[in-house]
Amino acid sequence: MLVNGVVLAVNYALIALGITLIFSIMNILNFAHGQMFMIGGFVVYYLYGIFRINYFVSLIAVVIVLGTIGWCFETFFFRRIRKIATREENSMLLAVGTALLLENLALSIFGEKQRGVPPVVTGVFRIGNAYLPAGRLLVMILALALVIGLLLLVQYTKWGRAMRALAQDREVTHLMGVNVDRVAAYGFGLGAALAGLAGGLLVTVFGVNSGVGNVYSIKAFIMIMIGGAGVVPGAILGAIVLGFVEAIGYQLLPGSITYLLIFIALIVFLIFRPQGLLGKPWG
Amino acid sequence: MYFEFKNVSVHYDKVQALQNVTLNLEQGEIVALIGANGAGKTSTLRAITALAKLSSGEIWFGGKRIDRLEPAAVVALGVSMVPEGRHVYPFMSVKDNLLMGAYLRRDKNDVKRDLDRVFMRFPRVRERLKQQAGSLSGGEQQMVVISRALMAKPKLLLLDEPSLGLAPMVVRDIARAIVEINRDEGISIILVEQNSRMALKISHRGYALETGRIALTGKSTDLLNDDHIRKLYLGA
Ligand SMILES: Nc1ncnc2c1ncn2[C@@H]1O[C@H](COP(=O)(O)OP(=O)(O)OP(=O)(O)O)[C@@H](O)[C@H]1O
Ligand SMILES: [Mg+2]
Repeated sequence: MLVNGVVLAVNYALIALGITLIFSIMNILNFAHGQMFMIGGFVVYYLYGIFRINYFVSLIAVVIVLGTIGWCFETFFFRRIRKIATREENSMLLAVGTALLLENLALSIFGEKQRGVPPVVTGVFRIGNAYLPAGRLLVMILALALVIGLLLLVQYTKWGRAMRALAQDREVTHLMGVNVDRVAAYGFGLGAALAGLAGGLLVTVFGVNSGVGNVYSIKAFIMIMIGGAGVVPGAILGAIVLGFVEAIGYQLLPGSITYLLIFIALIVFLIFRPQGLLGKPWG
Repeated sequence: MYFEFKNVSVHYDKVQALQNVTLNLEQGEIVALIGANGAGKTSTLRAITALAKLSSGEIWFGGKRIDRLEPAAVVALGVSMVPEGRHVYPFMSVKDNLLMGAYLRRDKNDVKRDLDRVFMRFPRVRERLKQQAGSLSGGEQQMVVISRALMAKPKLLLLDEPSLGLAPMVVRDIARAIVEINRDEGISIILVEQNSRMALKISHRGYALETGRIALTGKSTDLLNDDHIRKLYLGA
C-alpha cells in the first residue's frame, strides 16, 4: 500500500511538474495534459509492446513525440492567440480545444480498447511483509530520477534560469536578451514531454486507453490545487498527497468512493485555503 | 551621431504617447529626460528597446537602425534598460538575478570578472547574494537591477526613474553610482527622472518632455538656470 503510494506519488509529481511548468511560464492551464499522458502511454504501447523496441528507446521516442506536440501547440496556436487575443479566456478555450483535438485523434488512431504492455523487468522484492514487483520499482526509480533531473535543470542551468525568469517577469526577461518565444516553446515541449513520460512509465503498471486523458488532467488539476498553482514545491507536495490518498483509499474503500471523498475533501480544503498549501508565484 | 531618436511617434491604441520626438546622444554622454507624469518618458525608453512599437520615425544606434528589431536583438547590440519600479525577479536569488543580466554572454571568466566589478561598486549586493531578491529593501533592489543591467556589459544604459521612492541618502548613493558608471566604464546613459534637480546635476545635457513632445533641450547647467524649467520642474 505504501509502496503503491510512492509509485503513484513520483509519477504524479512528473505530471504535476509538467503542468506547473506550462502554467507558470505561459499562464496557460494545459487542459490537454492528461491527453499528453495518454499519448505517451500509447507511444510505449506501440514501440515497446507491439514492435518490441527497447523500453528505454521507446521512452526517448515519447520525449520526442510529446516534446514536438507541445512545441507545436505553443508555436502555432498559443503564441498567435497571445498576440491577437484581447481576453484571457481565449487561450483557455484554445487549451480546451487542444485537449479535444488530441482526445479525438487518439480515439480514431488508437481505438478505444484498453492496452497493456509486457513487463519490462520481472521478479518481486520482499520488503518486510510487503511485496514489491520489480516493474513497479523500476517505474518508481525512473520517475524519481526524472523529477530530480528536472529540478536540477530548472535550478542550475542557464535555460532553467531563463524559464524561471520568464515565469516571474515576462517583460524584464525580454530586456535580458532572452528569445522569449523560443524559451516558451521549449518550456511547453518540456512540460508535454513530462506528461508523456509519466504515461510511458505508468502504462507498464496500469495499461492505457484513449479515454484516460481527462481523468489524468483532473488529477493534475487536483494536485496543483492542493499544492498551489505555479509553485514547484507545491506541485510535488500535491503529488505526494494525491498519490498516497489514492493508494490508501483504493486499498480500504470500494472503488469509486475514493474519488468522491477526494473531491469533497478538496472543496472543503479550498474553501479554507484557496491558494493551496504553498501558493505563491513560481521560483 | 552615436544614438539618434528621429521624429518618433508612439501610440497605444488611440492614446498618443509620443509625438515627433527627436533626441540624440553622443558616445559617453549622460542625457537626462525629465517631465511630469504621463509626459512620455517611459514610452521613449520602451520604444528604444522595442517593447513599444513606433507608429512613425526612426531610431539609430551605433550606425544601425534598430527600430524594427526584436527586443532581444536590441539588447544584443549593447542596450540595457532598467525599467521603472525596480523589477527584480522577486523569487530568484540575487546571484541568479545578476546572471540573468549576463544571459547573452558566453565567456564565463569575463562574466566572473564583471561580477567582481559590480560587487566593488555595490558591496551591499555581494552581502545579499544568496537572498531572494524580493526580500531586499527598495534601495538594495535598485542596486540589484542596475547591477543586473551592467552584467550585460552595455554600451548604452537606459535608467527609468532609479530614484523613485528612495530615501534622500539612498538617492545620493544611486546618483553617485550613475556618475561613476559613466565615467569609469564609459557607458552612455539616458536617465529618466522626476527628480529633475538630481538628473540635471549629474547629466551633461537634458530634454524636457511635455505631453509627448520635446519642450526644451540644452546643456544641463543651462537648464538648471532656465526660468521655465525652474518654475515647472525645480519648484523654485
Ligand atoms: N500600455 C499603455 N496603454 C495605454 N496607454 C499607455 C500605456 N502606457 C502608457 N500610456 C499612456 O501614454 C502616455 C505616456 O506614458 P509614459 O508611461 O510614457 O509616461 P511617463 O512620462 O513615463 O510617466 P510617469 O512619470 O508617470 O512614469 C500616458 O498618457 C499614458 O497614460
Ligand atoms: Mg514612466
